[in-house]
Amino acid sequence: MAYVQIEADERMEEGPERLQFQSFLGTDARQANQESTASRGYFSDRPKSSGFWQLEYYQPYFDVDTKMVIKRCYTTLLPHTSNYLSAHLTPSADLYGPFWTLTTLIFALFLSSSLASSIAAYLTDPKNSSAAVLEYDFGLLSTAVALVYSYGIGVPVVLWLALRYMGVGEWSVIEAVAVWGYGMFVWIPVAFLNINPFPLARWILTGIAFLVSGWFLVANVYPVLATADAKPVRLIIILLVALHVVVAFCFQVLFFGYYPLKELGPKDPIPPPQATATGKP
Amino acid sequence: MQRLDQEAHDITTPLTSTSQFIEADDDDLDEESIPGFTHPGLVQSPHSPVPDKGKGRAPEQLAPPSASAAVSGNIGTPVNGSGAPPSNRRSVGGVRVETRYTGTDTLDEPITTTIGRDLLSIYTKLIQVLYPPRNRGNRDLLRDWDLWGPLVLCLMLGILLSMNAPASQSLSVFTSVVVIIALGSLVVTVQAKLLGGRVSFFQGLCVLGYCVAPLNVAALVSTFVHLIYVRAPVALAAWAWCIWASVNFLDGTKIEHQRILLAVYPLLLFYFVLAWMIIIQ
Repeated sequence: MAYVQIEADERMEEGPERLQFQSFLGTDARQANQESTASRGYFSDRPKSSGFWQLEYYQPYFDVDTKMVIKRCYTTLLPHTSNYLSAHLTPSADLYGPFWTLTTLIFALFLSSSLASSIAAYLTDPKNSSAAVLEYDFGLLSTAVALVYSYGIGVPVVLWLALRYMGVGEWSVIEAVAVWGYGMFVWIPVAFLNINPFPLARWILTGIAFLVSGWFLVANVYPVLATADAKPVRLIIILLVALHVVVAFCFQVLFFGYYPLKELGPKDPIPPPQATATGKP
Repeated sequence: MQRLDQEAHDITTPLTSTSQFIEADDDDLDEESIPGFTHPGLVQSPHSPVPDKGKGRAPEQLAPPSASAAVSGNIGTPVNGSGAPPSNRRSVGGVRVETRYTGTDTLDEPITTTIGRDLLSIYTKLIQVLYPPRNRGNRDLLRDWDLWGPLVLCLMLGILLSMNAPASQSLSVFTSVVVIIALGSLVVTVQAKLLGGRVSFFQGLCVLGYCVAPLNVAALVSTFVHLIYVRAPVALAAWAWCIWASVNFLDGTKIEHQRILLAVYPLLLFYFVLAWMIIIQ
């Protein structure tokens, strides 16, 4: 009985240590920006301390200029950016790029799928000029919003929370969102390229985009997972890759699938995309 | 450079003339310079203890001479001798109120005059937003923001687009237009503030809402002309007009030179989605 009591005491001592208040929302980003903005002079009159309900609190996460955002976007396309977090997200990660990358992706998906379905309808029946103006399913727009935002913002936040719960990872939630947001950049040009009317080319382009963005995510998330003491934590990467496959497949089927071709049927010169489904990498 | 110039200008300007720089949401108007219209007994009423609340309020309602004097002073005569300012703030009975001097007695005019004046103010703001060089020096008009004009324009665009859409899509088209305009202008305004622009929140909403007007014209044209060769150029021209008008507004918000593109890009995206919906309908 006495032994049990001692153990209980130890737990009591450990308790308050674990329950310390910590600032999880990217303390390093805010501190790093304190110095850099002073030299750049963007926010010279910013109040020193502001609560998270005020707009000024988030200004350090939007402290970027045009060149920096463009550079952060195109470096995600290069395969050897393994340490993106330490090499390119300096002095701190921003939220401008991830948010507008995801939003642009939504509109690129909307635009390319609507334009491509018009082109497909025109190719199907060139005589009928009114076929170019067809019913576009606006439900796809809300599908794109839900899919892209939940994958690009929801997944990193959930992953960050899970890693924080397990005590793994030295990154802030802002960095996690930035990795996912910038990682989706490759899908924007691919969405425009996928307007082409050849199903096989669309599948190949989607596969390339899947490989580039998947490699970028793995190369930047796996080092964080590898810092864990417990080896099974690294298996999370398999879950993330599986999720990425699902999202890429959703993009291809929902937005690059040219759904009107099925309705317009027999006169279609192009085989429907299901015929080449085995070509998926 | 602009920012530095502005700071230098502020330093060299004597303190007494700062009241001429009337910012949009400036809360620190020097209240001492405004002659006191408050009754001493009324100011003390909020400080009275809770059990005396009923008693403390009684003189507030039963003090007709001072209250009516304040009201008539508000409406009839300009407060400061040096020209009538567009808005005055003072405290009446411990409550801060803002009054606008409209030039006439608005209490006993017919209601058609009131509505006509509001419509006229919407019209003049529309003209100023859509054609900024017309009265370049007179930006003060926009300080008197309203959200009625943007609401009317947004609903008009939604109705026009949903009328043209097929019956199965009309509801979702209307919903997406209203949601895109509401959320889009909100996000763009917040984002201009986060990038360090000096812009009043509701003023930004007001201007961005009024800038939708050219797209209304394009939607109206495409209601009657169904040729894609006519609709696409008209919609793109309306898009360019929207961008020109709203960038003209952003010019005045003193965003840094290196990041003005970051503030303009969301505008391009926002209006292009609306223009695209007009083209493909």
